[in-house]
This record gives sequence, structure tokens and C-alpha cells, in this order.
Amino acid sequence: MTSLFRWPSGWDPRETVRYMQREMDRLFGRAVAGDPRRVGGGTYPPVNVLNGPDEITVQCELAGVKREDIDLSITGETLVIKGTKRASVEPEDVRFQRRERGFGQFSRTIVLPDKVDADGVDAELKAGVLTVRLPKSEAARPKQVTVR
Amino acid sequence: MTEDSQDRSHVQASRARERGEEAFSPLVDIYETEDGTTVLLAELPGATPETLDMRVDKGVLTVSAEAPLPEVGEEYTPTYTGFVGGHFFRAFALSDEVDREKIEASLEDGLLTVKLPRAAAARTRKIQLK
Repeated sequence: MTSLFRWPSGWDPRETVRYMQREMDRLFGRAVAGDPRRVGGGTYPPVNVLNGPDEITVQCELAGVKREDIDLSITGETLVIKGTKRASVEPEDVRFQRRERGFGQFSRTIVLPDKVDADGVDAELKAGVLTVRLPKSEAARPKQVTVR
Repeated sequence: MTEDSQDRSHVQASRARERGEEAFSPLVDIYETEDGTTVLLAELPGATPETLDMRVDKGVLTVSAEAPLPEVGEEYTPTYTGFVGGHFFRAFALSDEVDREKIEASLEDGLLTVKLPRAAAARTRKIQLK
């Protein structure tokens, strides 16, 4: 059966998938994929940590992951993002021609630059990007000091 | 940056994008179902239907999307940067067996799903022995 995507003949698609996976891992700063059932090995999802005077913002790239599959927990200065990225189909039911996306369980621990107030944390998932806003605890906020 | 230099860099960036440079190549899964439909899944974190451009031209399917990161105020300093927003671009050659009128696509949670059905004439038909 011919495929609906044309490949040059004599070219091993698996080799390209591995190359592209390595390139994407490098581009997004992920560890090179080992076990295909686990995504990223501790460096997925990719995150940005931004430090403001009153609040820390953490952004995570979680394209294709559902809200109910994301588990966020905070302890003092640590944010843990865990969850499952599900495959959209059972691999046995379909024939893959190219497979670059990872799937499986992931877990990432982020040490925050300051202590945060766990009660005031807000997390929003939009278009596959998770934005977590963590208000700093009172002691961690900068305070003006008047010089006598 | 001055207003002027910002405008210039935007114009340069969009010209570069049209040439396919400075763009991220989205991760894709491509698989074929039992009835011969090909499904393409592409990760486009940050892209919305408004910023997505998808077209088929001369047998080439092009996916192009603006995927900015959510805005964060100037008072924030980056402590750690693991990924950036930007422009996604990727092109795929389609075989003649794809029924181009029946291509369907949806974008949800940053994941683009494109269904490309096989044209009826091209489907595998079992031949019955009499």
C-alpha cells in the first residue's frame, strides 16, 4: 500500500525520526529520549521561570496534554509538575509513518528562586502553554528601607 | 528599542518567515488508519486558530503558525529560560491519493489534528472470487 506522504526511495524513515527527535530535544533543551514510554527523563516539560518583585511566573510547554492529566504541587520553594501525555491512538490500531512526539508519564521539579505562598497560586492552561503564577510569601518580597 | 527599529525588525522577521527561516519545525506524528485515512498531529504550543495558517497548494500541505508566549510584565526577570515563543513552519508533500476536498483539521490545547482521507477511487478494494 503506498503511503499518502511521499518519501524519497532508499531512505530509512526511522533514522530521520531519531535524528529529528535528537534535534528537537536539543532545541528544546530536553535530555535525549531513552525509554519511549517516559517523556523527557526529567526535563519535560520545558519551563521558563520569571522572577518578579511580588510574584514568580512559571511557564510550561504542554502541547496536547489535557488539564485533567496535569498534577501540580507546591512545597515551600519547590514546584512539581507531573502528569501523563497520552497517545491519541493505540499504536496497534494504526500504522505510524512518522513518530516524533513523545508520550507517557512526566515529572519535573523546579526549585523556585524564592519562597511562595501556596494558597495564592493560580495556574492556567491555554493553547498548550501552562502559566503558573506564584505570589511570593511576605518575607520574600522586597521592602523599601529608609536611610536615616 | 525605538519604534523605528522595532518596525524594521518586525518587517525583517516576517520576510524571513516567508522564506521559512527562523521558524521552529513542530514535532509531528503521522499515522494511517485502517480505512486509509492519514492523520497528522503537530504540536504548536501557543498557537490558536487565529494565528494558524494551513493551506494545500500544488500537492504541498503547509502549516504555519504564530505561537507567542503569554505576555509577562517588564518587572519580571528571567531566572531560567527553557523555551521561547516564535513561529512554527513545516511543509508536507501529499500524494495524489489524498482527497483534498475532504481534509479536516482542528486545533486544541496547542495540538493540531489534520485528517486526510484517501480518495474513494484510491481505496483498496477486495476482489471477490466467484
